[in-house]
Amino acid sequence: MDAALRLGAADEAIAVLRETTPFGDASEALLARIAGIARRARYAAGARIYSADDAADDIFVVLSGRAEHVFKPEVGAREALRRVTRGGVFGWAGLLLGQTQRLATVTAIEPTEVLRIDTEALVGLLESEPLEGGHVMERFASMIQREFTLPALLAQVRRLSGPLTEEMSSLSLTLYRLSLWLRSPRPYLMLVGFALFLGFWYLAVEVWKLPRFREMPGLTNVVREWLSPSPTYGLSLYIAEYYQHIAMSVWRVAQGFFLATVLGVPVGLLLGWSRSFKEYVFPVFETLRPIPILAWVPLAIVMFIATESAVVYLAFLASFFATALNTMLGVESIDESYVRAANCLGADRWQVFRHVIIPGALPFIFTGLQISIGVSWFSLVAAEMVSGQYGLGYVIWTSYVMVRYPTIVIGMVTLGIVGYVTSALVRIAGDYLMEWRVRELALAER
Amino acid sequence: MKKMLSNPALWRGVVSIAVFLVLWEIGARSKQWMAPEFFAPFKEFLGAMGFKKDYLPWIGAVPAPSAVLDSWTAVFVDASYWQSWYMSFFRVMSGFIAAMLIGIPFGLSLAMSRVAHGIGFPVFEVLRPIPPLAWVPASIIFWPTQETAIAFITFLGAFYTIVINVLGGARSIDVRYFQAARSMGSSRWDIFRRVILPGTLPSIVVGSAVGMGITWEVVVAAEMISGGGSQIGGTRGGGLGFFIWLSYVGGSYEQIVVGMISIGIAGFVSSELLRWGGRYATPWLKAR
Amino acid sequence: MTRGHIVIEDVVKVYDPQGAAVMAVDHCTLAIEPGEICMIVGPSGCGKTTLLNAVAGFHEITSGRIIMDGEVLCSPEKPRSTPGPDRIVVFQNGALFPWKTNLDNVIFGPVMQGKLARKEAIDKGRAMLADAGLSGVEHNYPGEVSSGMRRRVEIVRALMNDPKALLLDEPYRALDSLTKSVMHEALLEIYYKNKVTIFFITHDLEEAIFLGHRVAIMTTRPCKPKKILNVDIPHPRDYSALTSKRFRELIEETNDAVHEEAWKAFQAGEKEG
Repeated sequence: MDAALRLGAADEAIAVLRETTPFGDASEALLARIAGIARRARYAAGARIYSADDAADDIFVVLSGRAEHVFKPEVGAREALRRVTRGGVFGWAGLLLGQTQRLATVTAIEPTEVLRIDTEALVGLLESEPLEGGHVMERFASMIQREFTLPALLAQVRRLSGPLTEEMSSLSLTLYRLSLWLRSPRPYLMLVGFALFLGFWYLAVEVWKLPRFREMPGLTNVVREWLSPSPTYGLSLYIAEYYQHIAMSVWRVAQGFFLATVLGVPVGLLLGWSRSFKEYVFPVFETLRPIPILAWVPLAIVMFIATESAVVYLAFLASFFATALNTMLGVESIDESYVRAANCLGADRWQVFRHVIIPGALPFIFTGLQISIGVSWFSLVAAEMVSGQYGLGYVIWTSYVMVRYPTIVIGMVTLGIVGYVTSALVRIAGDYLMEWRVRELALAER
Repeated sequence: MKKMLSNPALWRGVVSIAVFLVLWEIGARSKQWMAPEFFAPFKEFLGAMGFKKDYLPWIGAVPAPSAVLDSWTAVFVDASYWQSWYMSFFRVMSGFIAAMLIGIPFGLSLAMSRVAHGIGFPVFEVLRPIPPLAWVPASIIFWPTQETAIAFITFLGAFYTIVINVLGGARSIDVRYFQAARSMGSSRWDIFRRVILPGTLPSIVVGSAVGMGITWEVVVAAEMISGGGSQIGGTRGGGLGFFIWLSYVGGSYEQIVVGMISIGIAGFVSSELLRWGGRYATPWLKAR
Repeated sequence: MTRGHIVIEDVVKVYDPQGAAVMAVDHCTLAIEPGEICMIVGPSGCGKTTLLNAVAGFHEITSGRIIMDGEVLCSPEKPRSTPGPDRIVVFQNGALFPWKTNLDNVIFGPVMQGKLARKEAIDKGRAMLADAGLSGVEHNYPGEVSSGMRRRVEIVRALMNDPKALLLDEPYRALDSLTKSVMHEALLEIYYKNKVTIFFITHDLEEAIFLGHRVAIMTTRPCKPKKILNVDIPHPRDYSALTSKRFRELIEETNDAVHEEAWKAFQAGEKEG
C-alpha cells in the first residue's frame, strides 16, 4: 500500500476517535498510538458483527454505516436496544471487571465500516500513559453507564495496573489538569469577570469620576502605592512594617485558633459522646452563644491588662464556639450502626471512640475549623480596629483616620489574601487526613 | 406539659444554668473578699497570661449578675435603651433584606447560567475572604451618610452566606426533578418556578439563618467602630453596639453586660423568627 | 455441628412501658438450629428487627430469655445481652466504616479483640477476600466500590471473627433485583464454605424461600411466629431452584399468610420500625 494513503487512513482513524466519548479529549499522541493498533473491517447490511456470550476480544468504533446493538436480557440495561452510528463505541465488555464475554448482539443494518481495537492491546497502551489512560477509562465508565444505560453494578471498569495515581508525580497530574482547564471556557470567562470588575473600578473612579466614586482610592493609585519602593503613605510591598502588620495579625489568629482547636474539639467530642455532659453543659453554651463575639470587646479590654491578650481572647472565643459546635454535630451525625458494628466486632468503649467516633466526626470537625478560622479573622479585624497597636485591622482603621485612602485598600486586599491562605491550609490538612472522603467525593462528581 | 416537667434533661439544664449564675456571682464578688496580696505569688504567671494581677483572672473583672440585674431594671424604663433596640433592629433588617433581595437572584443566576457562573463566581470568591468589617472605612468614605454606610456593611455580612447557600442548594437539586419536569413539557420558566425555586428554598432558609447571625455581629461592631452612626439626639439612639461602647467609656461595666445580653436576646429572637418563617415556607421538610 | 444454636424463649418487648406501651414482640418462641439458615419474614415495621436487636444486644427485652449454645444471653435478670463477636450483625444500609479501606475494615474485629497481630490479620483478611472473589478491592475505600461488593466485604468482615451466628437485617433491601440475585448466590456460596448459623430478616418471601432451610412468617406488630415453613428443596441450591415446581408450590402455600400480614401492617399505617 502507498505510504501517503496509509497516512490518510491513520488521520481518518484519529478523526473518528476524536468524535467518540471515551477518547474525545485525549491527546493527539495517544490517539495516534491507538489508531496504530486499530484494524479496519467492513460488514455488509444484515451481517452479524458478534453475538452475546462470544469472547469479548475487540472494541469497535464505527466509521460509517449503522449497527443495531441489543443487550441480552440478563444484563438489565434500561434500554436494551441501541443504534450505533459514526463515533459510536461498542464491544467494550472486555474492559469491565470480571467480564470475558459479550453482553450484547450487534448486527450491521447498513453497510458498515468499523475500527477494531484489541482490548488487551488498548489496556496495555493506556497503562503506559497512566494519566491519560485513567481518564479514558473513567470516560468509558460514564459512557457505559449513561449512554448504554447499564446498571452501576456492571458498569465497573477494570483498574489499570502500572504506576497508579498515588505514585504519579503530582506535578504531571497538575499539569494535565491545567491543560484540561485551559481547553475549557472557564479561564476566559474568569478573565472577562475580572476585567469587568477592575475596569469598572478604574473607569468609575479615575476616568468618569462618578459622584461618590470620586472620593474612593483609584485602582492605579492603589497598585502604584502597593508596588512603590517609597510609598507616599508609608506602606507597600517594600516596607518592612507592612510585613510586621501581617505577621502580627497572623500570630494573633494562630494563637486564638490553636487554643480554640485544642479546647473546642475535645469539648465538642464530649458534648456529642456523653449525653449527661451535654445535658449539663450545653444549656450554658447555648445561652452564651447568641451574644455576638464583638459585643465582648469592651469586657475583654477590662478583663485583660494588655490589649494584646484581649484581641487574642476575642479571636479565640469566636473560633471556640464554631469548633465545639461542629464537632458535637459531627459526633451526633455518626450513624448508630457504625457504633453497633464496632461493638459486634468486639471493640471496647475506648476503641469505639478512637476508631469510630473520631474519624466519623472528622468531616464535621474540619468544616468547623474552616468556619472557625474565618470567624477568627472576622473578629480579629474588629478587635484590631477598636483597640490595637499593630495588625491589618489597625492599618485599615488608622489609614482612614489619617486620610491615607490607598492604604485602606492595600490593607483590605492583604487581609483577603492572608485569610484565604490560612483557610486553604486548614482545607489541605483536612484533605490529607480524610483521603477516603476526597476519593468518595471525586467519584460522586464523575 | 407534665411530661416536659418530668424530663430530666430539662432539670439538668436548669441546674446547669443556676450553677453557672451562682459561680458567676461568687467569682465576680471575689474582689470584695480576696485581697490583692492573695495573688502576689501568681503575679508573674498572671501577668504573662495578660491578666490583671490583683483579682481572680477573667471572672474577677466581670460585674456580678445581681448588679447587672439592678442596672437592667434601671435602664428598662429609659427610652434611649429602647431606642437603641429599635436602631439596631432597623439596621439589621435593612441590611438583611437588601442582602436577600440581591443575593438570592444573584445566586440563582450563578446556578442557572454557566456563563454567569464563569464570569461572576471568581470575582465573588476573591472578594469573599475580605472580612465585612474591613470594609468599614471604605464604606464610610463611599456612602453619603453613616447610616447607609452601616447598612452596606450589614448587607455584605449576610450577602456572601446567602449567595453561597443559594448556589449550593440549587446545584444539589436532583437531576431527576428536571428530567421529570421536562418530560411533562414544562417551559424554562416553569422549571425555574416549580423546581429550582422550591428546591433551593431549604438552603435559602439555612443561609438566611446563618446570615442573620452574622448581621448582628456586624451591626454591633459597625456601631462601636463608627461611634453610633447617625446620632439622632446626641448620645441617644446609636444602637445596642453603641450602647455597650458608651457604657464602656462611661465606666459602667454592669451596663456593658446588660447590652451584651440584650444583643444576645435580639439575635436569638430574630433567628428564631426566621426559622419559624422558614418552617412555614418549607412545609414538606417536616415529613422527613 | 453444635455451634450457633439460638433459642428464643417467650420473649416480650414493650417500648415505652410507662407511656404509650407499644408491644413490638409478643411471647415469641423460636429455636434456630445450629448451622441452619433461618429466615424471618414479615412486613416492614412488624417488629422483626426488634427481635434481631434483642439477640444482638442493641435492645433490652421486657421478659423472656434468649439462649445461645447453653449460654443465657439475656433474661429478666439481665435484660440486655452484650454485643460480641460470636454473633455479628450485617446491617440494612451497610456499616462498613467509610474511613477505613476494605482490608482495614475486614481486619477490624480480630485486631480490636487482640486475637491476631495486625500482620497476621492482614494475611488472613486478604485470603478471605480472595476466597469470596473480592481480591483487588483491598486498598479501595468502601465508597469506591459498588454496593453489592460492599455487602460482600461486610460479610467477610463478620466471618473473619469466626462467629457462631450471622444476624442479617434485610441486607439486600436497598439493592436492585439483579444485584440481589447475584448477592443471594454469593451468600449461599459463602455459607457452604463456612456453615455458620444465619438468622436472616427480610420482607421478601421469594428471597426467604430461596435461601432458607426454614422460614418463619411473623405476624405484624406485635411480632410472633405465625407459621413456620420447612423448605424441602435440597441444598446446595442455585438459581434453577427459583423456577422449580416445588419452589412455586411453597410460595403458593405461604403467600396468603404473608399477604394478610402485609395488609394488616398497611392498614395500621405502621412506619419503618
